Amino acid sequence: MAMKEDKKIKSPIERRKFIKMLGTTVAGGSILATSGLMINKFVDGEADHYWQIDPQKCTHCGRCETHCVLSMSAVKCIHANKICGYCDLCGGYYRSNVKDLNTAAENLMCPTGAIQRKFVEDPYFEYTIDEDLCNGCAKCVKGCTAFGNGSLYLQIKRDLCTDCNECEIAKVCPSDAISRVPLAQAYKLKD
Amino acid sequence: MKQTIYRNIAAVSAIFIVTLSIMLIINYFQVKEVSPLQSVVVETLKQLNDQNANNPELQEQIRQLDLMARKAYFLNMDHLKNGVYLLLGMLAVFLICIRMYFTGFKDIPDKEIDPIDEWAIQSSARKYIGFAGISLVALAAVFIVFSIPLMQPTNSSASEDKQELLAKAEISEKEKIVEAQESSPLPVNGEIKTTANETQTSAEEIETKAVQSEVETSNTEPVEKEEVEPVIKEQVVENDTEVKEKVCSEEAPAANEVKEEIALPRVNSNAFRGHYSNGKSEAKNLPVKWDLANGTNIAWQTKVTRKGQSSPVINGHKVFITGGDEEARELFCYDLNTGENLWTLSVANIPGSPAKVPDTTDDTGLASASVATNGLQVCAIFGTGDLVCTDMDGKQLWAKNLGVPDNHYGYASSLIIEGNSLFVQYDNNNTHKVYALNTENGNELWVKERKDKISWSSPMIAQVNNKPQLVLMGNPGITAYDLVSGDQLWRVECLMGEVGASACSYNGIIYGASEYATMVAIDGTDGKVLWESSDYLPEVASPVATESNLYIATSYGVVASFNTETGELKKEHETNAEFYSSPIMAEGRIYLISNDGTMHIFKANDEFALLDSFETGEMTYATPAFTDGKIVVRTNNSIYCVEAN
Amino acid sequence: MKQLSTFLLSILAFANAGAQNLNRFPKPDFESGYQYPDAHYALPNEQLWLVIDIILLVGLMSFVAWAVIKKQTRKPIIWVSIISVAYFGFFRSGCVCSIGSIQNVALAFVDSSYAIPLSVFLFFILPIVFAFLFGRVFCAGVCPFGALQELVNIRNYRLSKSVTAVLEVIPWLYLIFAILYAVTRTSFIICLYDPFIGIFRLGGDFGLILFGVVLLIASVFTGRPFCRFICPYGALLSLFSKVSIWKIQITKQACINCELCHNACPVDAIKPPYENKTKEERLQGVKRLIMYFIFLPLMIGASGYVMHYASPGLSKAHKDVKLYNMLVEQEANPQVLIPIELEAFYSLGGEIHQLKQEVDQVKAKFEFYSLIAGLFIGLVLGLALIKLSVKRSRKEYEIEHDDCVACGKCFSYCPKNTFIIPENLLQADETNNI
Repeated sequence: MAMKEDKKIKSPIERRKFIKMLGTTVAGGSILATSGLMINKFVDGEADHYWQIDPQKCTHCGRCETHCVLSMSAVKCIHANKICGYCDLCGGYYRSNVKDLNTAAENLMCPTGAIQRKFVEDPYFEYTIDEDLCNGCAKCVKGCTAFGNGSLYLQIKRDLCTDCNECEIAKVCPSDAISRVPLAQAYKLKD
Repeated sequence: MKQTIYRNIAAVSAIFIVTLSIMLIINYFQVKEVSPLQSVVVETLKQLNDQNANNPELQEQIRQLDLMARKAYFLNMDHLKNGVYLLLGMLAVFLICIRMYFTGFKDIPDKEIDPIDEWAIQSSARKYIGFAGISLVALAAVFIVFSIPLMQPTNSSASEDKQELLAKAEISEKEKIVEAQESSPLPVNGEIKTTANETQTSAEEIETKAVQSEVETSNTEPVEKEEVEPVIKEQVVENDTEVKEKVCSEEAPAANEVKEEIALPRVNSNAFRGHYSNGKSEAKNLPVKWDLANGTNIAWQTKVTRKGQSSPVINGHKVFITGGDEEARELFCYDLNTGENLWTLSVANIPGSPAKVPDTTDDTGLASASVATNGLQVCAIFGTGDLVCTDMDGKQLWAKNLGVPDNHYGYASSLIIEGNSLFVQYDNNNTHKVYALNTENGNELWVKERKDKISWSSPMIAQVNNKPQLVLMGNPGITAYDLVSGDQLWRVECLMGEVGASACSYNGIIYGASEYATMVAIDGTDGKVLWESSDYLPEVASPVATESNLYIATSYGVVASFNTETGELKKEHETNAEFYSSPIMAEGRIYLISNDGTMHIFKANDEFALLDSFETGEMTYATPAFTDGKIVVRTNNSIYCVEAN
Repeated sequence: MKQLSTFLLSILAFANAGAQNLNRFPKPDFESGYQYPDAHYALPNEQLWLVIDIILLVGLMSFVAWAVIKKQTRKPIIWVSIISVAYFGFFRSGCVCSIGSIQNVALAFVDSSYAIPLSVFLFFILPIVFAFLFGRVFCAGVCPFGALQELVNIRNYRLSKSVTAVLEVIPWLYLIFAILYAVTRTSFIICLYDPFIGIFRLGGDFGLILFGVVLLIASVFTGRPFCRFICPYGALLSLFSKVSIWKIQITKQACINCELCHNACPVDAIKPPYENKTKEERLQGVKRLIMYFIFLPLMIGASGYVMHYASPGLSKAHKDVKLYNMLVEQEANPQVLIPIELEAFYSLGGEIHQLKQEVDQVKAKFEFYSLIAGLFIGLVLGLALIKLSVKRSRKEYEIEHDDCVACGKCFSYCPKNTFIIPENLLQADETNNI
């Protein structure tokens, strides 16, 4: 009798069934184990979801313009009015060595004409960025950081960014300025 | 019937899709290749415009091109976007039609006549996997071979080369290191280089190379590492000890001269009042008499086109001064031998520079601060706060505005450079700072906020126990800073009023004096005040010190010498002149020129005898610069060179 | 001690902030009563979208499972495919996808400092759970990549079975390398070389879009080339699908061996009946199998060894290693024009020895994980060989459940499904025959 049962198990069909059962158990077990291991991770708190630029680390290399997966980069220049000096000769608005402080093309830094300026009162000018035109090339950021208060800086616009699993710009950023941030600090604003 | 319609629509949309995608691809590459916004043409035109003053045609051209570029950029973007949407729409149409067309045909193939021999398939699949596996391993092997071992031979040969180089260099450089150390009292440091000094830089090179080869060898196989590293280390250690020995055996070098090739003058005057701004020159064979009117001993004289009080600075064959007025601020370079104006750099368009120049008095002006150089770069600062640095050929390296100075006479503190650090004393009503900037790129090495009020004094570098200190005079403090870190070493608060004179030092003692305050001697090691005196005090001219004597020149005509030990007045001369220009000691003589242009030459000893005094012929506020056989003097409107025949 | 370190940290943070926010120009005091404009930066409600993603994922997979297992119909799958391509593909731009989430999960496993978002983990585990329960219903039409290929598929030309057997190893190798590069924090290569993402985003790297288009054109003529020969997540799902609890059947009726389903299957997952009529002797087959089993550890060891030695080369893809090599190159032969990476490194006051320490750590990690990856590569190849040496005889057309993507194409081809014969009638028929 025992011999017979033994034989039965060894028959091909039974063996396959047994292996399948084993497989099912292993697969189910591995799913449970993975979930169990990962649950600890979620308990720890909110993970960082969103890519953002740390303006303190940014070196304005210009790769944000060229390396974003979107055809028009999700990185835009942002202007912090509260730390702006409202200068007439703005290092972000005008090219260096500018002769006349007017809006002629040969004097302006922005290649797309995205920076607009408005006279406030002598000698102050207010600068604003037209986001639709800005391509995130960081030319103005460079100028403002080198000669001004650094009130122009780059940020990833949350409404444009597709939040890739791995940010292409972060991969090529020379100063590791782009990292994931939690929703609460989705922007690293200067003001 | 329906099938035909679907087929036709599908065919039309397919043609449409193909053409559209070709167009889109071309468009994409056009945008990518041409990248209208980064057009080289526009950029070069813009640069041309920067160089050339108003050229309306050029500007018009730039404006048009710029507009075209922007149009092209945004239009292309728009086309691309709309094109892609159109393409997707057509694709959907195509897919639907083709599906509808094919739903009519049920894909029922013939029964396979030959039943599939699964075992045969499996056998060949096994073979293929075997091949794939082997080729993977081969690929990996090739990858490994190319990624590592090829690096190793080059590395090891490079380090061998360096080893040889080291061995050779060690022998040949042995004596040179001594000289190098003499010429630079600083400890050998990869960062700080003195002027174009061949021997020293080569000594540095060896060290850095040794360090590099160490780094490199650590990458290579451990076997090689063991072979190469000890050798190099040994040599580095040998080099090090040697250097240290030489440093220890050296006396505090009074001479801060630089060994140059024979063709070049032996002595440079790299800053206001000579090297380290200490009022001394090692120049030899200096003229003792000249006259502008008759041209006696005058090698050349050139008119200076812009007003300025900055003193000439000499490096190699080049003489530098600045000039400035409301119209322009300029840095001039003259040939030391001919007086020819080699180049002029107009300092303009610096962001932050004020549109209207600040108000200054006539005797200070916008170009009072002298330039400084290290033989590689020349830096100049103006009363507008514009700081500019060029290479020796007048090519602007960088420029910045340190903030428009609020200064009722005009900003006047001269610059000083050590190695590639530029130091700027920036004491004005609105700013109280001392900057250390990299001469190569203008980066801030350090900045310190100062507790002093406005002053017109210039920084100098004092050698204290073979270590340089940056000494600044201000109101009310005399402060010494570490050159590298900017840390305050000591501070003595003893001055008041308007401080215009600068400090001087000898053998680790710093002497400072200012009108309406005091004259003080400070031990540079701990900032202890050795003595104070107030018999005569200079207003503008800075003192100069020898071992036993301290010489000063006042603005009311008294020239006096003091005992450096006690501060006692030793000798005094009453001249009928005012002195703004500082005395310079060279060849054992004190050269001092008064505002009206009378040159006074004293013997620099305890007697302090007036050797000669003669009219040069022009008003002079600036301090002359000395080099072997030549003295360069800037007067109110010209610059001339005196050379003994 | 902890207090001290936080204190130090705060000082450092302060110093850093001070270094950058240069107040060269003072804040202007406006006399005209100028007010600073309010700056608002849009924050889309990502959380909400993620919830919708998850709900839709589960809903669509359940729907597919119901359609293929319960109803045995393909129609809903087409609709699911359209929804998936439209929503997960074009609307959500294909990120985060389950395929890419493998890397996040792998990284989260080895790196305790990496916090994986819950949504990413759900995207990873839910399709696996469904595969374990119902087979690869995720692949059927919920995955936008599979759905896209499914939608454009028109004809079904068959590839040589022995070639596909080899090509099916690629997803495993891809999976292994993806995990290797993910756990060493080098890059997420699955995301980097994703062929369809450019199509969904309507822009991106030209080469990849071209690759995606080529794959799509290929999938017009043969079923799902990406799913079969590239997708690493499919490889993972096939493991669970093989042992799934509820399995897809071509028909609930008895098979009549008409071969129609075999020809309809786009992924070649339906195997024809096969009786072992090879001339090869059984003993020889067994011998080969035993030989493979003996060679398996050897192969594993060999490939582990090879990969271990390849690790320095592999590590060059890491950003820090790249930077370090650049630095060494620059220091050895200084160039005036330096790459912006080095410029940034120098200007941020980077220390080469500090970088070297980090690089050494990365390299050590690479050495370890390359070895493990090598072992797995050996295992994959060995198991593939073993699988191909096992003879199995079948009486009727059977679904190979690891390869089946639950597309449901076979249902309509099976004549038994078209003309459903009531059970009792069938039995009556059989009894008649007897």
